[in-house]
Amino acid sequence: MLEDSGFDNVRIGPPVDTFGGAIGEAKARSFEVYGYAFLAHRI
Amino acid sequence: MSNETLVDVDTLRSQVREKYRDVANDPQGTHHFHTGRPLATRLGYDQAVVDALPDRAVESFAGVGNPFSLRRLEPGERVVDVGSGAGFDSFIAATQVGPTGHVIGIDMTPEMLAKSRTTAAHLDFDHVEFCEGLAETMPVEDGWADVVISNGVINLCADKQAVFAEIHRVLRRGGVLQFADIANGRPVPIEAMRDVDLWTG
Repeated sequence: MLEDSGFDNVRIGPPVDTFGGAIGEAKARSFEVYGYAFLAHRI
Repeated sequence: MSNETLVDVDTLRSQVREKYRDVANDPQGTHHFHTGRPLATRLGYDQAVVDALPDRAVESFAGVGNPFSLRRLEPGERVVDVGSGAGFDSFIAATQVGPTGHVIGIDMTPEMLAKSRTTAAHLDFDHVEFCEGLAETMPVEDGWADVVISNGVINLCADKQAVFAEIHRVLRRGGVLQFADIANGRPVPIEAMRDVDLWTG
């Protein structure tokens, strides 16, 4: 979607266990939800 | 991420406002996500920078990653923070760009805006301002920003393609989008994606 929106050189950082130990952990685990950092440049 | 709008936009915005009103007013309350300093540590923020901020700048932080982990901002850069909440990432950005830079935080939740504005005044950060607005229609001139940051906000927007188009509009050519957000490794059933309650909880 980023490239379709006029961005390039897209980089994605490693996953972060955003919800580990939180109330929402079980739901996050069920869909393998993690946080990521994204970097892209506007064309 | 899909560009299909799966839920009613106004209903989703109303629920997001309600959720983050609670985070602004009662950051230590019961939330399905971590908040505040423990979250900033979990997400790998520079501990010294976080420690230097007052509690009110950090306590309502509810991001999902670290938008500064892949690139540190440069002094003098002009930054837009999409969904700035109580201002935590905007204050980190303000520290990195310094007084020759400028940061505009955009948020749609009045309680978050009030908190971020009060904190900016407390910090005497003249180069940070907070404006009411939506991610899809930000009160920023075309091509104003060198950098757009965001943290855990785009996943809460029904029309992600519209958000990226708006970010593209406010960024200058060659500008940088650096944001953090959640992504799922397993497919979410379409019925669940149409359940607005699951978007915020």
